[in-house]
Amino acid sequence: MIIFTDVNKWYGSYHALVNVNAQVKRGQVVVVCGPSGSGKSTLIRTVNRLEDIQDGQIAFDGQDVNAAGLDLNRFRARVGFVFQQFNLFPHLSVLENIILSPTRVNGLKRNLAKEKALILLERVGLSSKADSYPGQLSGGQQQRVAIARALAMDPPAMLFDEPTSALDPEMVGEVLNVMKSLARDGMTMMCVTHEMGFAREVADQVWFMDAGVILEKSEPEKFFTHPEHPRAQRFLSDLRSH
Amino acid sequence: MWKGIVLTLELTLSSWILALVLGTALATVRMTNHRLAKIVVGCFVAYHRNVPMLVQIMMWYFALPSLLPDSIQLWINQFNGEFLYSVIAIGLCMAAYVSEDIRSGLRAIPYGQFEASRALGLSYIRSMRFVILPQAMRIAVPPLINHTVLLFKNTSLAMAIGVAELTYATRQIENYTFRTFEAYFVASVWYLALSLALMGAGALLARHYRIPGSK
Amino acid sequence: MFEILYNYWDLLLLGQYPSGPLGGLSITLILSLLGLGLAFPVSILLALARISPMPAVRIPATVVVYVVRGIPLIMVIFWVYFFLPLLIGRTITGFTTMLCTLVIYQSAYLSEVIRAGIEALPKGQIEASRALGLGYFRTLRFVILPQALYNMMPSMISQFVSTIKETSLGYVINVPEITFAANQVNNQLLTQPLAVFSILALVYFLLCFSFTELADYIERRITRKREGKHKKIKSAKPAKSGYIAMSTATVSKENS
Repeated sequence: MIIFTDVNKWYGSYHALVNVNAQVKRGQVVVVCGPSGSGKSTLIRTVNRLEDIQDGQIAFDGQDVNAAGLDLNRFRARVGFVFQQFNLFPHLSVLENIILSPTRVNGLKRNLAKEKALILLERVGLSSKADSYPGQLSGGQQQRVAIARALAMDPPAMLFDEPTSALDPEMVGEVLNVMKSLARDGMTMMCVTHEMGFAREVADQVWFMDAGVILEKSEPEKFFTHPEHPRAQRFLSDLRSH
Repeated sequence: MWKGIVLTLELTLSSWILALVLGTALATVRMTNHRLAKIVVGCFVAYHRNVPMLVQIMMWYFALPSLLPDSIQLWINQFNGEFLYSVIAIGLCMAAYVSEDIRSGLRAIPYGQFEASRALGLSYIRSMRFVILPQAMRIAVPPLINHTVLLFKNTSLAMAIGVAELTYATRQIENYTFRTFEAYFVASVWYLALSLALMGAGALLARHYRIPGSK
Repeated sequence: MFEILYNYWDLLLLGQYPSGPLGGLSITLILSLLGLGLAFPVSILLALARISPMPAVRIPATVVVYVVRGIPLIMVIFWVYFFLPLLIGRTITGFTTMLCTLVIYQSAYLSEVIRAGIEALPKGQIEASRALGLGYFRTLRFVILPQALYNMMPSMISQFVSTIKETSLGYVINVPEITFAANQVNNQLLTQPLAVFSILALVYFLLCFSFTELADYIERRITRKREGKHKKIKSAKPAKSGYIAMSTATVSKENS
């Protein structure tokens, strides 16, 4: 579904992504973890070209992401992306946030889009908030709306960039529950997150990154109990010590 | 006096439309991040903010015509030249302020909003139209209202070059009838009432477009 | 353009002095400084009146501010021009008229700036000061006003820039400030209005631009200083823990 081949990225002289070769297969859930500045957010943002690469290839659902004649907007509409800062549009109601892209980019009729949006809101547990505005919702509720908004485009895969890092601890659970139910329903997911419990429960693979390199790819159980790479071992012990 | 009021309102409306259109254009040009564009717009804004309005009117009325060939000068003066020059002067000055208001409105929107709308597949123009500009305009409305009231009051400066707006008319009335207090009192009341009306209309506008849930 | 400057610099800078009253740029600067300087105490009083808990004080102040802000400066000039002599019983010069006008006009605007500065302070400041026993006026004098005025310095410099621009309206009542002087030069020369008015615009531009940059510079320094204060507080912690360690040491001694 998502294939990284020899991907390299530089910020000026800083080598942000180093020879990344990896695959997310259809229906798989991959968790990317690592210390700050390791390039995990950068990697996930290259898939929908919020960041560009200088070398290598990225394929999403068979489509070369950096192909010359690509209709970028239509392509992005097929990639579901959830931001750390939610980035809901405060001047639109929850419902309007969700139907904005389906109606404007895909040309879906408003009433059909609204029906679909209500089903999605039901799925994330917020059907009563359809006419509320983001400013009236808590952080956890906003992030769930953001997930619904991304799902509204029927993407073949969903990307999550540290979706719970900006939330107060008591709201992390409600968002993770939505993500877990998505995973169980067979959605292809690539998540950058620090939530190790989530990784153990639903991830098929864990990728550990440091300084732009994927140092280890293994099954969650194996990664958490017997990490191979010394850097990964240090990372996990730091994580546990607090 | 009534003619003076009408002329004041005409001045205000003409300058305001000019200011709004030009100011939006300037703000858009500045956003293109082209180096020359930013310098040109920056100079325009700096000139209009640092030189007094009266001096600007004088520049347009006294200084500029000397650059134009005589035939154009005569033609303009036939068509109420003073009014035209005042509108241009006031309109251009306020355009500088309007462009600054719009610019600060745009800068207040976090970049994540733009990223999110692009990630959903909306094009640059669509992102601007549905996500960025609606939010930026709401932020820009209060200072825009203030500057509109300022524009309205600045029309009184046109009297210095002989435009028969309200202040000029008041002076004339006072010269003829010597009823100084009444003349100025009525004129002041008119200015005050119209200023308050503008501010009230602005407040209603701001309240109508308020985003529910914002602080 | 340079010949004009060379020939008329004394008129533009000093007016008719020494063979007549002072004028030109000097008068512009004197008017601005005096105008804002005298307006300052009045505006503080007006600001305090506007936030006063007593309606008898608050409502008239609010009305005054709204009225002065609602009418154009020219109208205020004419009001003072016609009615101040009636009030004090003798004729006054254009300079005095302009000065009074500026004081009245700027007091209203400056009071709004100061009011904004006061209301921007966290409520905790007032609460803490009252909890320490300082009365209403002492709180204002030692806690609120010093902070509000310091924070609002950039805005006040902006108001000074506005005052400089407002002096140009003295032209209308023949106050010999620099705009008036420039017009005199233009009436003498008649053939080079562009050059004359360009000089005028340039003078104002240089004056106002420098002060605006000064205001921006001060604003950046204030913001940096505020962030710096937080860092200073953190470094004070080790001393505290030393005191606590000392007290626990004494307690444990007692227990043993």
